[in-house]
Amino acid sequence: MMVLIILTAAGILAMFASVFNGRSVVLPVSLSGLFAAGYFALLEWNTNTTYFEAMRMDNFAIAFTVVCLFAAFVFLLLYHYMHYSSDVHYAEVISIILFSLAGVVVMVSFTSMLMLFLGIEILSLSLYILAGLKKKDLLSNEASLKYLLMGAFATGFLLFGIAMLYGATGSFMLSDIAYYLGLHKAVAEPFIVTGIIMLMIGLLFKVAAAPFHFWTPDVYQGAPTLVTGYMATVGKVAAFAALVRVFQLGFSPALETYQFLFAAVAVTTMFIGNITALYQKSVKRMLAYSSISHAGYMLIALMAANEVTNGAVLFYSIAYTLASLLAFAVVAILQQKSGSDEVSVFNGLSKSSPLMSITFAVAMLSLAGIPPTAGFFAKFYVFSAAISDGWVWITVLAIINSFISVYYYFAPVIASYMKKGNEEGIVLATPVKVLLAIIALLTLLIGLLPGSLSYLI
Amino acid sequence: MGASSLIVLICAAVAFSAGGIAIAKFMVKGTKNTAKGEAYECGIPAKGTPWDQFNVGYYLFALIFLIFDVELIFLYPWAVVVKSIGWPAFVEIVIFMFILFMGFLYAHKKGALKWM
Repeated sequence: MMVLIILTAAGILAMFASVFNGRSVVLPVSLSGLFAAGYFALLEWNTNTTYFEAMRMDNFAIAFTVVCLFAAFVFLLLYHYMHYSSDVHYAEVISIILFSLAGVVVMVSFTSMLMLFLGIEILSLSLYILAGLKKKDLLSNEASLKYLLMGAFATGFLLFGIAMLYGATGSFMLSDIAYYLGLHKAVAEPFIVTGIIMLMIGLLFKVAAAPFHFWTPDVYQGAPTLVTGYMATVGKVAAFAALVRVFQLGFSPALETYQFLFAAVAVTTMFIGNITALYQKSVKRMLAYSSISHAGYMLIALMAANEVTNGAVLFYSIAYTLASLLAFAVVAILQQKSGSDEVSVFNGLSKSSPLMSITFAVAMLSLAGIPPTAGFFAKFYVFSAAISDGWVWITVLAIINSFISVYYYFAPVIASYMKKGNEEGIVLATPVKVLLAIIALLTLLIGLLPGSLSYLI
Repeated sequence: MGASSLIVLICAAVAFSAGGIAIAKFMVKGTKNTAKGEAYECGIPAKGTPWDQFNVGYYLFALIFLIFDVELIFLYPWAVVVKSIGWPAFVEIVIFMFILFMGFLYAHKKGALKWM
């Protein structure tokens, strides 16, 4: 609860700093808000504190909260150093980020379907605004409008599913729903089936899983690149945590029934994401399709639904978040310099900015799942979760997909090391350099010492 | 209510909307006159082109009005239960109003209420 209060208060303060000519205090206020929120979240580790029977800060919730807070921290710093002087809406952007984090906290800690809906809406509304941040840019406008229309449609499905489940079970509480499903063996009742499938559609839209992924490339390309990074990490990780939570706490008796549905969605998502990514010229679009395919990998862990699922999803989220943040940060910096997000802007990057090219290479290795990066063990845990339940065929398909993805992940890396380009040095602010280096080192460190993280929750 | 009633409902919904369109197709006689093309068939004749530029500043007032309208509606259920809950309800509504007031203050400071 303290986490929510702090994030909201920091958001309001940051918002007011802009009207009272206090631009310079925005970053300190918001960063201390983030740290305080993280501190209070970690204080509740192992306590399972329940708030109003609507939220429960269990270890799962805290872990995902902290991952999202870290991603937001990186976003805020990068945003500060890239747009402090150029963006009139600097303070508003940061306050919207803080408000969206309040939504994230609700999304990962809910025990009632109403809170799930509220959390998703708080996050989504913030993302709709952030996508249209560049008011005069047509693509950005298109992204925002598309995201709003499609997102509202998906929310309709979600709400309808919640209503159906409420009608069938008489409760919004996940524990009550699980109890009802177990007691009456009611997983095949029409209202329950309709409700769960509607809910799945709504949530799968938010994590951008096929066949509900069509908005992703356009929105990711149109939105400002840093915002895209925020959407691809926080938006996806929080939505995925919500998906895992709702199925584990609420529909665990029904998971068997829906396993094949998840398997089908996971396989389509991986193939559509990876194969379409092969054809992209824009790095942003490529990363958008890659984020679709990563939703597919994570769905495998969810589908397996055994005792290692949570650990695997958390590990995957961390690895994916770190690598995506790095990748989007580098693309954002390059795009600000050259105005383009084609693969060709990476030409000669190893000469003009060795740090950026090496960190980007680490990010791509991690996304492709190559040791010794975090991405390798992320995929390893997901696949071992699937194999321990006998899902061999889906693991084979996922590994084939990993091979496909290596091709497009390496295209910009090859461009930056093998091709000649503009060798004029790119000057970065020192904190940005340190940040990039730290994230890259974290990716490597988690890849080398994966053990402690995977048994966290 | 079982599966059958759900199917009946879906069929009824489809039939209702499809029926409306179909009936309109058969019933409508193709009358043609200039008034048909007007934006308001039964009002004052429109003057000038509809593509004129006009000030959209007013939408900010609409948005702010909407926020406080929703807040007002929220006060009704609160007013019903405030006696039975007591002071905690009062404190909570004050916090709620305070946050909305901050929003109002922000809009005012940003000049959203100034007539352009």
